[in-house]
Amino acid sequence: MSSRFAAGMFVWLMGVTLCSRGFAQQYPSVDGRQNPLSQMSPVGMAAEWSRGLGIDRPPYFQPVQLSLPEGCQLAVYHGPRRAPIELSNPGQAGLLVGQTYRYLVTGLVDFPGVEFYPSVELIDRLHPPAGQADQFPVTLELTAEEFELAAKGRLITKVVYLEQPDRVPTATLESTTRMTDLPPSENAIAHADVLGRPIAIVRLGGRTPDPHRPDPQFFGMGAPVRLGPTPRAE
Amino acid sequence: MKYYFLALGTVVVVCVGCAMDGQQITQKGEYHAPPASMMQRPGPMVDGPGPGVMPMLAPQAPRPFVASTTQVRFIGPDGMHVGWQIPGGYAENQIVAPGRYNFLQGNTYRLKLTNVPGREALSLYPSLQVYPAHPNTDAYLSHNSVPVQLTAEDLDQFESNNFVTKVIYLPDAKFQELAIANVETLVSTRLDPGVDPVQEADKRGTIMAVIRMGNMDFEMPGPRPGVGPTTMMGGSGVEQTAYSVDGLEGQHMPPLPIGPAGPGAGGIPGAMMMAGPGTPPGPPISGMNGMPVWGQPITGTPIGLAGPANLPYGGPAGLKSHTVRNRTRQDIPEPVDHMLIDVIHEPGISLPKPVKYMEYKETHPVYQPGELSYPAWAAPQGGGQ
Repeated sequence: MSSRFAAGMFVWLMGVTLCSRGFAQQYPSVDGRQNPLSQMSPVGMAAEWSRGLGIDRPPYFQPVQLSLPEGCQLAVYHGPRRAPIELSNPGQAGLLVGQTYRYLVTGLVDFPGVEFYPSVELIDRLHPPAGQADQFPVTLELTAEEFELAAKGRLITKVVYLEQPDRVPTATLESTTRMTDLPPSENAIAHADVLGRPIAIVRLGGRTPDPHRPDPQFFGMGAPVRLGPTPRAE
Repeated sequence: MKYYFLALGTVVVVCVGCAMDGQQITQKGEYHAPPASMMQRPGPMVDGPGPGVMPMLAPQAPRPFVASTTQVRFIGPDGMHVGWQIPGGYAENQIVAPGRYNFLQGNTYRLKLTNVPGREALSLYPSLQVYPAHPNTDAYLSHNSVPVQLTAEDLDQFESNNFVTKVIYLPDAKFQELAIANVETLVSTRLDPGVDPVQEADKRGTIMAVIRMGNMDFEMPGPRPGVGPTTMMGGSGVEQTAYSVDGLEGQHMPPLPIGPAGPGAGGIPGAMMMAGPGTPPGPPISGMNGMPVWGQPITGTPIGLAGPANLPYGGPAGLKSHTVRNRTRQDIPEPVDHMLIDVIHEPGISLPKPVKYMEYKETHPVYQPGELSYPAWAAPQGGGQ
């Protein structure tokens, strides 16, 4: 398994919102199946369901790598105090499966002084060869165009999934991550579920914390983050 | 010949019957999950017996990232100052547009907009209803702010003594007109007369905030709605001196909710014994809590006229009969004794049959005596078989 192949394993499905009332019913079914989850499900709901399925047992820190436009600074909030940990760009950290994390992105060239707070909801994990977990992280990417949309008040939702082997278009396999744009009326999670195994949901908007009324829930539920290499035992 | 068709029919029935389980006839090959609220709380016998039977076995775990506040972003006009009502007055200049603030959901606030460019003498006191988060809006509200903008057209409407209602909502997918959608705002002045913007927005999506604006001055001297002087003894007492909170001097104070907002606000109250309007719940006691004293001659009649005293003062009772006849023609329908409401989900809820049989089969390689199989990484000479 080469790193090129690993990078090509992930395909992004981007749904630039929005939602529908009774979202479980108004999205058309995909492949004859109706997925109760969608990109507009409440944040943390898919992770909660994955915990209910036992995917988080035993607890596993899935290496996740987030790539940003050049020059950006990156941090992730963790722990009961929701303290930020600064990461490099691209930044890699081990996130617990079944949890939702909030990142802090600053330093965008087109938006000086503006902070963005994307969230990553980890709903499943990878199973890399033993001892090579850090070489095959879940790769996430946020582009400058997406930050521009977020600054305009729009919500960008990306569903990252691991392709099912018999549905991999090997003829177009490249080192870059493929991305499919879906209209707001389509269920991105359902499409990802048909093509493979959804791993993570990334959401990016323009909301920032209010210093006059701090809201700890804004920074997630305080799940831990692991930095450094993953132990071989996992 | 008929035996041939009989045998052929038997074969068809057997073959088709084995391949079909009955659902293919009634269904179109699609399944439809229940709506969002049902998915979150499956209901009795699943997550508990339901309210009114016994307490839930375990409290529902709070979901992370479900914001209890809605961040309202005052886009413009640039330089406009935003304040709000606080206990005893108004906090001035708390935000300068463009700016944002987190308002607690499910509440109504009174804002104070001043220093509007081009109309510096104008002070507006709109009300802002921040609706509770809905499962459809959770993801949006936890990542985005709700935009509120005052346009020149709105200001012209105020000066023309018009009332403007703006409803900011998250539209349903079928109402998306653009490939990349956004929140939308319905303005009452752009709708046909008689169309309620709140009801219209509720049809198109999920409401997040409603702002209502007029040109009423809420800080006029004298009795004022909403903010009135603190009075004692029926209004002729002491007026509280309002203290100043000015954001330009670094003073900030959270807004005071002046009422609820959103679905359920002002809805059907809980069951209680009521003794009359404005009376605290409890058993009605004569002469207490605003109830009339027993015997006081204010006996009501069906036509609204006061009846005679039912207890004479200082003398024997003389009145033996008092009859009031209501000769009004009435054409009032009988009250409904049995109500029937049919609820239909479209498309209906349809789930596949649960799995009741699985067959698991593994095929292992078989080697003859003398044959060995090594994985590639364990082959003696680097060549596996």
